[in-house]
This record gives sequence, C-alpha cells and structure tokens, in this order.
Amino acid sequence: MVNAIPALLELESISVDGRQAPRLADVSLRIEAGERVALVGPSGAGKSTLLAVANGLIRPSAGAVRWQGEPPAGGGRRRRRQQARIGTLWQDLRLIEELSVQQNLNAGRLAHWGWPRALLNLLLPMDTQACQQLLQRLDLDPALLNQPVSALSGGQRQRVALARLLRQEPLLLLADEPLASLDPRLAAELLELLLSQGKAPRALLLSLHRPDLLQGFDRVVGLRAGRLTFDLALGDTSDAALARSLAELYGGAARLEARR
Amino acid sequence: MTAARGAGAALRRFAAPLWVLLPALVLLPLALRLPALAHGGGWDLVGQFALAALQPSLDPLVLGSVMGGLGITVGIALLGWAGSLVLGLLLGIASSRVVWNSMWGRRWPAELIRRLLAMPRSVHELLWGLLLLQLLGLQPAVAVVAIAVPFGALVARVVSDQIDNLPLGGLEALRTAGSSPPAALLTALGPPLLPQLLSYGGYRLECALRSATLLGVFGLGGLGTELRLTLQSLAFRELWSGLWALLVTMLALEAVVTALRRRWAMPLRFGGGGNPVGRQGQELLLTGLALLPLLVAVAWALGIHPNQLLQWQGLPPAPPPDWESVLALPWPRLLAGTLLLTALAAALAVGCAPLLLLLVAPWPWARLCLQGLWALGRLWPPPLTALLLLFVLEPGVVAGALALGFHNLGILGRLLLEAAGHTGSAARQALVAGGSGPRMALLYGQFSPLARPYLAYGAYRADVILRESVVVGLVGATGLGSQLLEALSSFAWDQLAALVLAYAALTLLGEDLSDRLRRRLSSRAQLPGLTPAFRSAPESVASDPAAPAGPPPELG
Repeated sequence: MVNAIPALLELESISVDGRQAPRLADVSLRIEAGERVALVGPSGAGKSTLLAVANGLIRPSAGAVRWQGEPPAGGGRRRRRQQARIGTLWQDLRLIEELSVQQNLNAGRLAHWGWPRALLNLLLPMDTQACQQLLQRLDLDPALLNQPVSALSGGQRQRVALARLLRQEPLLLLADEPLASLDPRLAAELLELLLSQGKAPRALLLSLHRPDLLQGFDRVVGLRAGRLTFDLALGDTSDAALARSLAELYGGAARLEARR
Repeated sequence: MTAARGAGAALRRFAAPLWVLLPALVLLPLALRLPALAHGGGWDLVGQFALAALQPSLDPLVLGSVMGGLGITVGIALLGWAGSLVLGLLLGIASSRVVWNSMWGRRWPAELIRRLLAMPRSVHELLWGLLLLQLLGLQPAVAVVAIAVPFGALVARVVSDQIDNLPLGGLEALRTAGSSPPAALLTALGPPLLPQLLSYGGYRLECALRSATLLGVFGLGGLGTELRLTLQSLAFRELWSGLWALLVTMLALEAVVTALRRRWAMPLRFGGGGNPVGRQGQELLLTGLALLPLLVAVAWALGIHPNQLLQWQGLPPAPPPDWESVLALPWPRLLAGTLLLTALAAALAVGCAPLLLLLVAPWPWARLCLQGLWALGRLWPPPLTALLLLFVLEPGVVAGALALGFHNLGILGRLLLEAAGHTGSAARQALVAGGSGPRMALLYGQFSPLARPYLAYGAYRADVILRESVVVGLVGATGLGSQLLEALSSFAWDQLAALVLAYAALTLLGEDLSDRLRRRLSSRAQLPGLTPAFRSAPESVASDPAAPAGPPPELG
C-alpha cells in the first residue's frame, strides 16, 4: 500500500553531463506529498542542476524523472498541465521587470488561462481580489499591486516571486537558494512561509548552503560533486549524526578544493 | 473616474508587450485594399518563380557569370565599406563636441561639421550612384564612391554620437592629472568606444553588401545587374542561381560578423551588453592589417584607379532651368505618397516581425522557415521584389510598401531574434516551467523587456525606410521616388535638384522626429524605477555604463 499515491517527484538514477565532470551522477530521489526536503551541499555541488532536472528545464542524459508517477510529456497541453503543478522559486527570481506586480502574479495563471485572458491581463487589472489576498498573506501592502516590479526592494521582490509561485497553485514547490541574499530576519520569515506552504498535499524541495537553517524540514539531502552523499529523515536522526554528515559533506569539499 | 484614469495609466505603463504588436494592425486596411489592387494576371509567373527556387540553373555558363557578378558585388561592398569606415572615423572625430572641447576649448566647429554632414547622409546611396554615373560614366569606382560617401557620413554621425555619449569621468581625471589632450582622449575614450565601433562596423559591412547588390540592380555592375536582367527576361531558373549564391554569401558574412562580435565581446545592435575589448587587441590589429592588402588586391582586380574619378565626362549642355515646371509638379501628392509609403512599410516591418515570431513560437521548424524567409527578404533588393509584385498587383504605393516592408522585415526580424537570444530568456524559461504556453511565455517574458529598445530601433528604421523609398520608385506612382527616377532619365536637372532637396529635407525632418521618439523611449527605459531593458537576468546589475547608456544611434 506504500505506493498507492505516487510520489510528487521521483528521480531515478539521474545523470547530467557536464563539461569536465558530470554535473549529476546517478542521483535518485523521491519526494512524497507533505515532505519538506532541504538540499544541502557546497557551491558547485549540482544543487541548481538537480532542481532544474526536477522542474523539467534540463533533460537528464540518463535516468528517469516522474511527476506524480508520470514521465514528462513531450510537449503540448499535457506537458503544460504537468509543469503547472511544479512551482519554482528561482534564485534570480525571474520576475518580469516591466510589468506591474499584479500582472506578474497573474503570470502564474498563464498555464490555465487562454489567450483572451492573457491579453486582457496586459491591459486591465485582473483578479484583483485574489492578488490582494495573496499579498496580504505574505505581509505585503496590497497597494503594491499597481507598482512596477522594478520599483520594489529586494525583500519585496522575493515575496512577490513567492506570491507568483503560490498563485500558480503548484503541488511541488522547488526553491533554489531562496535565502541567499536576504538578511537573517527576512530569511527566517521566508523560510517559515515556505515550510508552511510545503505541507500536504504539497511538498517542498529547497536548496540551501547554510546548514544552520535546517530546523523545520522533514528530510535533509546532501549533494557533493554531483552525487548524493546522504538522505536523512530529521525526526529519526540524532543531532550528532546530522552534524557528522554535514561536516563530512563540507569538509570533504574543502579537501577536494584544496587538492585542485 | 480615478479607476478609468488608473487603467489608462496602467495601459501606457504596463501594456509594453502589446506595443510591439500594435504596428501590425496595418495589416487590416492592407488586407481590405489588396483584392482591389490585384489584377491576377501573373499568378502563373509567380508560381513559376517559386518553383524555380528548387531547380536553379546549373549551366556552367550561368554559374560563371553569377560568380563573376558576385565577385564584383562583394568587391564593391568591401571597398565601399572600408572607404566609409575611414571617412566616417575621421569625420566622426572631427564632428565630436567632446574632442573639439578638449582640444581647442570650443564646440561650435563640431556642430558646423555635423550640420554639413547631414546633407550627404540624407541622400540615399542609390541617388549618389545615379548622379555619379552621369558625371563619371560607368565604372566600378562609381558604386564604391556611392557607397562610401553616404555611409561615411552615417558612420561619422554614429561615431561622434558615441564619443559624445561616453561618460567623461575618466577623461576629466586624466586631464586634471596633466596629460595632453590627444593622449587623454585616446586613453579615456578609446577603449570604451572600440567595441561599439567594431559592432557597428561589422553591421555596416552587411549593409554595404546589400547596397552593392541594389546598385547593381540599377545598372552599376555586379550581381544585381544579372538579377534584374534575368527577372525581366523571366529566366527564373537563372535568377535563382544568382539568388542562392547571394544568400549563401550573405548568411556566411552575417555568421562571420556575429562570430567576431561574440569573440570580441561587442555589444549587440540593441539589447545585451558587452565587455570592453582587451586581450583580443593583437588579434584585432592583425585582422586590420590583413585587411589592407586584401583591399588593395580587390581594387586591383576590379580595375579601380583613383585617377579615373577625376576624369569627369562632358555633360550634355544643360537647358536653362525651368522653375515654373518644377513648381508645377504635384508636390502635395508626391509628398503624401512618399510619407504613406514610408508609414505602411515601417508599420509592416516593425509590427510583423514580433507577430510572426509569436505565431511560430511553438514549432522550431517553423521558426527556421521564418528565419529563411527573413534572410531572403534581407538579400532580395526591394526593387526586384517590387517588380515581382507587379506580376500580380497594380503599380503604386502598396506594391512599393510591400516590397520595402518585406526587406526591412528581414532586417528587423534578425535583430529581434538576436536580441531575444540575450534579453528575457530567463523570464521566458520561468514561465514555461510554470506551465504557460510557448507563445505567452515569449509575449510576457521576452517582449516585455524588448518592447522599448525594439520600438526605439523601429523609429530609427522608419527614417531609413523614408530614405530608401526612392529605390522602389521604379514601380511607379510612389511619390517623390518615382518622380525622381523619371526626372533623372529625362535629364530634367532642375526637377532633379528640387526633388533631391525635397527628399533630403524630408529625411532630415524624419531623422529629427525619430531621434526625439527614440530619446523618449530610451530615457524612460533608463529611469531608475523602470529597469534597463538590456539586462539578461533581473538580478545582475548592469555594470558597464557605456554599453546600455548613451543611446547609440544605430544608423544604416
């Protein structure tokens, strides 16, 4: 009965070729609904590549990706429906600078909207109420809806990007180093928000390079030089064991770099 | 009330991706008008023409003459281009306010030279060619000079604008430290100027090839002449031999220029930044040195002797000018025709490029077909397209506008694609990853940041089209252009002078207008609030002030 509900994300022996060394080598990972997984590892370990494989941006050179038990469709409407269930919080946010906050939020609905609504969104404020509620949920002033994204501060932009992600209503949330450029207070707040969004039926996979922020996650996955080094359920693992794994992960990398 | 005003403001502010599609609305009246203009006489000829594309003539005789013609055209283009660069660089420095100011402490001579240069610039190279042809007789040097003079004046303007738009902090620092003005100018302004110059220079070479072909169509030698003759004798298979050869040459040239641009890290025509050239300096110098003997060899092969340019042939004695007949020309109709032609062609070119890109977005193969079509549009001289259109359309403004529009669509489309490769692709990817369709991802993600620079470029392109409108004059009833060609062939010098002046005045007026529009578009794009559209990733701060700042007037 374990596999009655297929995992939201299933990576099976994924490899991605790189220029010199493979960017990912034989990585397998399974994320069930309700799981909040932290992906840790030194820079260059392949965290962003793993997330790009998970959201379908990169096609692996070997191995299989399955979203809710289905392989990625080749294209067309089916693929779009699959993509709509995967939301990504990009490291560089990838907001559309020229458009207003509201238009950017509604861009999260483009998977479901037909041409007429997509065009109207460029001309008129659409779904204002839903957008306002989202901003309030993320502790942003609803008056920001009319502002161009480029007029916002760094913290506000991060939240708008998260709001767009939520507007998409995905099941699988992927976040690539979302805390990297934030001050400690903002980082903690954002992390809390993301963790609260990652409850069932959703799931969260978040890449981090700060092992001090692991509280609240259900699992921690370590990645080094393109390989998974550990996959620990935080509830069953003692702090000491986790600390040992982390020290190995980062220490090993330090040795690796020293050798180069 | 406020809501309505708010919506209006939002429309102006945020409908950016839709602006680029707005000019395509011109298709509607055009589509309504076309059935009335079609005479349907020559559809079978058009069909034969299209079929012949698949079976070009491989007769050695034909191929030999195609290769010979192509050689002359490329040679003319190369020499004209080199001449225009030398001329443009010297005149550009001579008309730079910054240079005059730091060397001699005054600016007005720069302004004066700039004004003087406006005149040769405003006359299309075809007119230069035809006028010089009357003075010097048929020789390859005519086409070379006809390209070098107006292109030189264009390059001069671009160079001086680029110099004057560079940040002056470095120059001031050197000057206050006591270095001599020439050394300070060279050190402070040279390095940031070089990549822009190289990028522009490469682009001018492509323009020169197109112009050399065009001049050939009007009888100044080379492949263009063959193309026109084969078209007029309906020898489509021979025509396509020449076209394919030209296409291969042009695509190869564009590929080389693009590769060099990338290698030497030069900025794009619009969108995308660039890094100052540094370590490739030696390579650059070597390339430049290698070019010199090549140019000499080409000139020798074409049989160009500079002293031939001094032997003016005796003109037939000009009859006394008849100003009354000049005044009696239907000026309002001529001007209106030219302006309508320009507006139609510009709207077609500017609007259709993004629209077509949007339509083919889901299918890579369709996009390749589109690129092929655009390449044909670029290389196919507009007068030949116009002649071809006459098989099925009545002569007039619409036929001329379609021909010019198709040509410029090829140019704008390529630039748009090139810019789209650098701007907004991350945002588009993000949208696709979130499940939006390829068309909407392109519209939202890429057309948003590209809208302003693209339209600014389109405004400038409209001015080029105005100047170019003379080349489709031969399909008749297109306004000033056709009248001008008529005056030229009937040796009506008085009319000719008046028409050239009218053209120049119109072009300069258009240039001023498009400059203003461009400045508005690009200055608003550079308000601190609204992001510069030139970044590839929103988070990366544009660090190179020279590249996206001063709006380099991309003339050509």
